[in-house]
Amino acid sequence: MNEVTSFLQLVVTAMVPFILAAQGTMIAGRAGVFNVAQEGLMMLGASVGFLVSLTFGGNLVGLVVAGLGGGLFGWFLGWVTTRFRLDQFVIGLALFFAAAGLASLLYKVVIGVTLQPPLIPTLDDLSVPGLSAIPLVGPVLFQQSAMVYFAFLLSGGLYWLLYKTNHGLKLRSVGENPKAADSLGVNVARTRIWCSAAGGALMALAGAYLPMTYTGTYTEGMVAGRGWLAIALAFFGGWRPQYILAGSAFFAGMEVLALRVQVGGLDVPHQFISMLPYVATLLVMMFALRWARIPAFLGRNYDRESRTSH
Amino acid sequence: MTENSSPGPRPLLHMDGIRKTFGPVVALDGVDLTVGRNEVHGLLGGNGAGKTTLMNVLYGLYRADEGIVTLDGQEVVIRDPRDAISHGIGMVHQNFLQVDTYSVTENIVLGTELPSWPSMDLKGQAERIAELSTRFGLSVDPLATVADLSVGLRQRVEILKALYRGAKVLVLDEPTTNLTPQEVDSLFGSLRAIVDEGMSVVFITHKIRETMAVCDTLTVMRDGRRVGTVARRGTTPTELAGLMVGDDAMVRRVTEVVTAGMAAPVGRGPTVDAYAAGDAPERVVVSGLLAHNDHGVPAADVSLSVRGGEIVGIAGVAGNGQVELAEALAGVRPTAAGSMSLDGRDLAGSPTATWLDGGVAYVPEDRHRDGILPSESIVENLVLGAQRGRRFRSGPFLDWRRARQHAESSIRAFSIKAPSASTPAAQLSGGNIQRIILARAFSHEPGFLILHNPTRGLDIPSTQFVYDRTRAAAASGTAVLLISEDLDELTNLCDRILVVYSGRIVGERRRGEYDQYELGHLMAGLEESA
Amino acid sequence: MTTTTAPVQTPPRTETRAGRGNALARQVLAYVVAVLMAFVVAGIIIAALGHNPFDAYRAIVTTSFKSGFGLVETVHKWVPLVLLALAFTIPLAAGKYNIGGEGQLLVGATASAAAGILLADLPIYVLLPLVLVCGVLAGAVFAWVAAWLMDRFGINEILSTVLLNFVSFGIVDYVASEVWSDPAAGHPTTIPIGEGGLLPLVGRPPMHLGVLLAVLVAAAVVVVMRRSVPGFELRAVGANARAAQVHGIRVGRVAVGSLVVGGALAGLAGAIEVAGVHGKLIEGMQSNYLLLGIIIGLIARGNALAVPFVAFGIAVLEVGSSAMQRSAGVPSEMVLIVEALILLFLLFSDVVGARLRRSSR
Repeated sequence: MNEVTSFLQLVVTAMVPFILAAQGTMIAGRAGVFNVAQEGLMMLGASVGFLVSLTFGGNLVGLVVAGLGGGLFGWFLGWVTTRFRLDQFVIGLALFFAAAGLASLLYKVVIGVTLQPPLIPTLDDLSVPGLSAIPLVGPVLFQQSAMVYFAFLLSGGLYWLLYKTNHGLKLRSVGENPKAADSLGVNVARTRIWCSAAGGALMALAGAYLPMTYTGTYTEGMVAGRGWLAIALAFFGGWRPQYILAGSAFFAGMEVLALRVQVGGLDVPHQFISMLPYVATLLVMMFALRWARIPAFLGRNYDRESRTSH
Repeated sequence: MTENSSPGPRPLLHMDGIRKTFGPVVALDGVDLTVGRNEVHGLLGGNGAGKTTLMNVLYGLYRADEGIVTLDGQEVVIRDPRDAISHGIGMVHQNFLQVDTYSVTENIVLGTELPSWPSMDLKGQAERIAELSTRFGLSVDPLATVADLSVGLRQRVEILKALYRGAKVLVLDEPTTNLTPQEVDSLFGSLRAIVDEGMSVVFITHKIRETMAVCDTLTVMRDGRRVGTVARRGTTPTELAGLMVGDDAMVRRVTEVVTAGMAAPVGRGPTVDAYAAGDAPERVVVSGLLAHNDHGVPAADVSLSVRGGEIVGIAGVAGNGQVELAEALAGVRPTAAGSMSLDGRDLAGSPTATWLDGGVAYVPEDRHRDGILPSESIVENLVLGAQRGRRFRSGPFLDWRRARQHAESSIRAFSIKAPSASTPAAQLSGGNIQRIILARAFSHEPGFLILHNPTRGLDIPSTQFVYDRTRAAAASGTAVLLISEDLDELTNLCDRILVVYSGRIVGERRRGEYDQYELGHLMAGLEESA
Repeated sequence: MTTTTAPVQTPPRTETRAGRGNALARQVLAYVVAVLMAFVVAGIIIAALGHNPFDAYRAIVTTSFKSGFGLVETVHKWVPLVLLALAFTIPLAAGKYNIGGEGQLLVGATASAAAGILLADLPIYVLLPLVLVCGVLAGAVFAWVAAWLMDRFGINEILSTVLLNFVSFGIVDYVASEVWSDPAAGHPTTIPIGEGGLLPLVGRPPMHLGVLLAVLVAAAVVVVMRRSVPGFELRAVGANARAAQVHGIRVGRVAVGSLVVGGALAGLAGAIEVAGVHGKLIEGMQSNYLLLGIIIGLIARGNALAVPFVAFGIAVLEVGSSAMQRSAGVPSEMVLIVEALILLFLLFSDVVGARLRRSSR
């Protein structure tokens, strides 16, 4: 396998957490809920995913439980911001702390402090018969773990849901003009709560992917800002699933590049190379935000009986 | 007064004893309303009378504390708009409830249960909508994005929304705001067509003139109560004005508000006849002032001048550059070209604070968004804009004692109804918020006063208060620019009216030459004239 | 014709002294209830994990007050917490979320350490002010970068501030392991700064004078926020940016300024950590101060006067948490859960309070 192929293969592998977390951010955001707890929910997903997989001896059950946990947090965010109209950012930050604290707590409770943490097996690669034999494209796209296929199919599914279905028409209207949606009988609160729950589940899945792909165990700091970068990716992709999918390649590319250059022994201190993903993200956002439209009601709560806001 | 029992065997809609409170405020106090079949039913009253609240209850946007709604003789429970729609009620709100980024078709089908597999068939629905719009004289392109449509067309989309859902009762909330007189005629034509096809229309308005033009029956509301229901044929504008306002002493004081635009005004404002600004010096001179809208597109390009003591009106349909013009003249929006001077001092290009110091006072259109700090007290709201001036400052600190004294005297002078000077502005009614904004504008003795839709949404006494204060400012030598979408208000107050279309001034008329249809023609951009 | 009464509006009177007293009592009650409920819920979790919640809480609450050492440790912990909480609170008053306190602290600490190492021979009355000022300026500049990205390019400030944290990790790592590395430390650490750069210690057990500095800064912030013209403009922007702009306030400048001031305070926290606590730059010295600063700011509801008191409470919990882990065996992360719960219950108390007041009317 040549250099280019293996690089691209790593990039596609690294795209998954970005895709999942950013699509989660997007689906909640399109309904108007601005979740800022990604980083914490990814930690929680990583911790829970690892611990459950270890205890029950299977990655699928780890993924499912992590997703359910993240969904619960997302549901809570949606519930308190729609029913009680509490500030989305404040609740989001509180959930970030709670999730981050819970992630470490659960790990310590189950594993304790040890120099040799137990490992879980990483996800197997599934080759797609026939397609994986295509030169370059085959190994890059069709010799990957099930989660890679899931992330790509999910992006396509979200595109169809948002733009081709009646549910999508309603969902987007809730994030653009909830009063208009409400006046036509669309259930604003329910739409927001379930979109937020789905978003939280995807964020936790993004976290659970990390121990199952890279380390085989949970370590503090393993999320390393990917959650915050996912928010950047949602903005960068204009809150549209197809562009988020494309944009995740850039974020993953930066991540893999930073690792590669460090390994490659370039004459730049590795500390500066480790800044690359974050600096590159800020640089790109300086110029990319001009065209990106955001949902008009993103981050704002809706009060049907408010007499001043319209 | 003739209490009208509705025509036909059984009324189409009956609301009985509706009560609704918002916290401590009683918005509706046991209101009854009966709408017959095939009629245009006017719901008349000043702002704050509860007309819109009553209809929001009917449409399920507000939940009533008490009361019964009967449709076709059947009692119905309406918990949310979904229930209202399924019972055949449609409502066109004053602020259109549309998703700007959606097409006309998407806006109309939103909320229905169209099948999605394998994808939605929007094309078929577009055809159905086109058919509906021809039938009722409401033509609009079903594939256009609503953000690109004019106000008149967006209103048609709202009406089509209700018709598409098979509404039996169509409620229109102040539908003539922002329409030219010609568009109003076309709307009234469509309402007739709708009634002729077997539906009924509830027409909310505060203008007596409009109810006399289109309604069959009228219900008048005041202070959250129904004060009378009359047939149009059996009533007169004077009787309606009396019902709207209540006691006779008040009628005389606010008569110009309620009868605005009627053929024979009952009273005249105090300075109308004393107007003698014709040869006063020009205080404000604007030449070639160019302002862009939020998307960077040129939106207003005007030259004008205002003399001291003169009230100059800007007429136009909303969205023709009024916002950009107002903000540019107030120094809030950067100008791309041109100059603007007040008493010979050129202000263009300097920061907003310099304009304020220079004597420009601005009463913005959206008073909640641009005018107040909702969570802060009246004291703080009255300091806003003057915090760097010498008046409220001692050294680097603010002198809150002096600010409080100023607030208390303003509360008295402007009759602001508030428990105290430390009440947060958000707790006040729209009329009182507007009084705070006026108090702030007048406390600096402005040389140039810009008012943008200053009476929108105000109750009758507050509207009259704004008119009186505006005239008093002009009488003391201030140059006043009144930007309004209410032609009646403009013809009543202004010495001169400039008509704006697409950001340019397309016509000018002086007092004595006003003709609403002619002005409407100019506002629609149908005629270039000087 | 019927006569009618106008809809009467009777908002709660905030004017009278008694009314103000009631409002304060309600606030305090909300805090007490929130703290109690958080402890009850956390206690249930602790019990479920098989530990004794009472032992755990005894360790938490008493450690700070059992000995002079505990108290000084708590006060030393309070300094960065109060400064980072203000670094979050000041921009919050203008409606901006500064999630970059961590980076601003680290860059401030790096600049302080650099000054203290490069100019190690200068006497204290020159070097110490220099060390502190370098920290303040570096924090301010680092925050300005984020503010500039927000103001000039429209990047959401949450992102521009938080992503720079990760950049600061690289800077600290580079300085501590490549530039002035102390090879004996076994962890990225710089060599110590000059004697003259250290904050004087007073009392027994010794407490550094950065504590006094933090008290003065916190008091100054309260006065400026409440009484000064910039403080008023800051609040105006937070209350309604559009209206502030229409009335001549330069909203962009105020927002940028609030973030820069916040960065300066975080930088000061970094400088005090270097000059008062460690005497050098250590990787990871920021602990979880960022999270705690945000929690404190939110629990204090953005009120600068409440921040020092809330920060003290959190410092007590934090100092107690390691004692709890030692004596009761409960993982110290439990404290983070308690803090998040306090915040959530406090937010809920608003909702509950509003409902109660409405139904009692």
